[in-house]
Amino acid sequence: MTNPRDKLDFLRNRACHLDRAILVLPQPALWPVLRSLVVTVLGDSLSCTQALPTARRQETSRKKTVTGSPEYSESIINTVREPLIALDQDLRVVTASRSFYGVFKVKPEETVGQLIYDLGNKQWNIPKLRELLETILPQKTSFDNYEVEHDFTTIGRRIMLLNARQIQRASEKERIILLAIEDITERREIENGLEKAHEELEELAAELERTARVKSEFLANMSHELRTPLNSINGFSEVLYDETFGPLNEKQRIYVNNVLSSGKHLLLLINQILDMAKVEAGKMKLALSSLPIKRILDEISMLVAEMASKKKIDLSIEIAGDLPDIEADELKVKEIIYNLLSNAVKFTTEGGKLGMRAKRADSEIEVVVWDTGVGIAPENMERIFEGFFRVDTPYSRLTEGTGLGLPLARKMVELHGGKLSVESKGLKCGTSVRFTLPIVARREV
Amino acid sequence: MRKKALIIDDNRNNLMLEKDLLEVAGFEVFVAENAASGIALARKEKPDIIIMDMRLPDMRGSEAAKILLLDNETRNIPIVFVTASVLAEGIEEIKAIPNAVFIGKPINTRTFAKEVKQFMK
Repeated sequence: MTNPRDKLDFLRNRACHLDRAILVLPQPALWPVLRSLVVTVLGDSLSCTQALPTARRQETSRKKTVTGSPEYSESIINTVREPLIALDQDLRVVTASRSFYGVFKVKPEETVGQLIYDLGNKQWNIPKLRELLETILPQKTSFDNYEVEHDFTTIGRRIMLLNARQIQRASEKERIILLAIEDITERREIENGLEKAHEELEELAAELERTARVKSEFLANMSHELRTPLNSINGFSEVLYDETFGPLNEKQRIYVNNVLSSGKHLLLLINQILDMAKVEAGKMKLALSSLPIKRILDEISMLVAEMASKKKIDLSIEIAGDLPDIEADELKVKEIIYNLLSNAVKFTTEGGKLGMRAKRADSEIEVVVWDTGVGIAPENMERIFEGFFRVDTPYSRLTEGTGLGLPLARKMVELHGGKLSVESKGLKCGTSVRFTLPIVARREV
Repeated sequence: MRKKALIIDDNRNNLMLEKDLLEVAGFEVFVAENAASGIALARKEKPDIIIMDMRLPDMRGSEAAKILLLDNETRNIPIVFVTASVLAEGIEEIKAIPNAVFIGKPINTRTFAKEVKQFMK
């Protein structure tokens, strides 16, 4: 590209989208500077107006005669965000871009013609830059992405990325040096920040892993330590209640039965807390097998039928005939269904109704357990899944529950890849719990 | 002749409860509070079954079981571990021992002797 016209066409092709910017941003003060830059780069015999679109030719033709219309090159130089500076062979500034003056807070009159090292109170007297300009450039004609960190008097400590090209002037034998200066201080700060954040994240992950391990060890120990005394509490009271070593009077029987049922309640709590912790730690594993879910639903509803009939609750079970076997963890599925049905009995008043419906829904089975019991106030809809939440009604005081049955049921449904949701029109309006289980287990990849 | 059972557990309450339940069920019961004296008693009395805690003061129950397995006179005695451990690792540890099963704590007093007897056959 030795022909100046070719150079200009090349620039025009690359910069045609800048035309509008030229029109709205004429910078007469900078034209002399830019003219010298353009002339330096492209050769002084060039008529720049040839590159301008015809629509603006008339407007600019007046200036052309005076300055050779430097707008086009001005646009190119000044649109580049990075400061750009042209030096002669003695490293004196020939010209600089608008952004150079902006970034380094210097004026053209105190810049052009100065030795680069003397610029702005000698703030450019940087050993690394000297080395680049005086040692490397004469040999290599260009250098790329040299990083220089320097404390500038006007703008403080900055990190600059330097790129330079030596260019042979078209008309003369002498060469000029184009030096592009990019301030990467902020970028580097962001990069360093990201790196630091990454390190912190790794530390946090290690800490979490350690915490999870400590937690599961703690739970294993806690569970062991709590079960050992419960073995005595439940064991001895059971033997006493069974009158293995002699009869009890009525009062003694009632008292020892209270000890036993409280011990059993405590054991249920320990087991459920441990299960919750296992699910949350991702340690609960499913033992999958093919389950005859129809039979399991029947069996459990028979268990519940007894509890229901004691409270004179009308039980209705509708299980679809085409309900397929499912692939799931038998113990957990039984626990889910038992939890929901016994909750329904617990929270339904005497003479009320409860029921279970089960059907196939695409690739899942859907089970709904409903009742006409105490219901759930809208404000408690989410709280019932938090654990230990007990609906505050006279019935809840009558019934021994842990408040963990429903949250645990949801966790176990989700572990299978199903969903569990609760609906209630409000207090005393009954509750309906719907859950799904996939027919074929969704295995983790 | 009455069947002999040996219970090794450092928790005296457990020891008493299990002893009572097995005696009521017709066993002659021997007790030890640590593995070393339990192993000695096993060699002396040659019980029909050993009921053992997994956490003993001088060694783990699984280690005591290995020692019993190395001795021709005690190697065929079935072992029932009564464990409060609910973690998979603890259960794997027991499954690795031949001729051993486990009963979870707390025990069911109504079925305990029956479960022990079942395992003797």
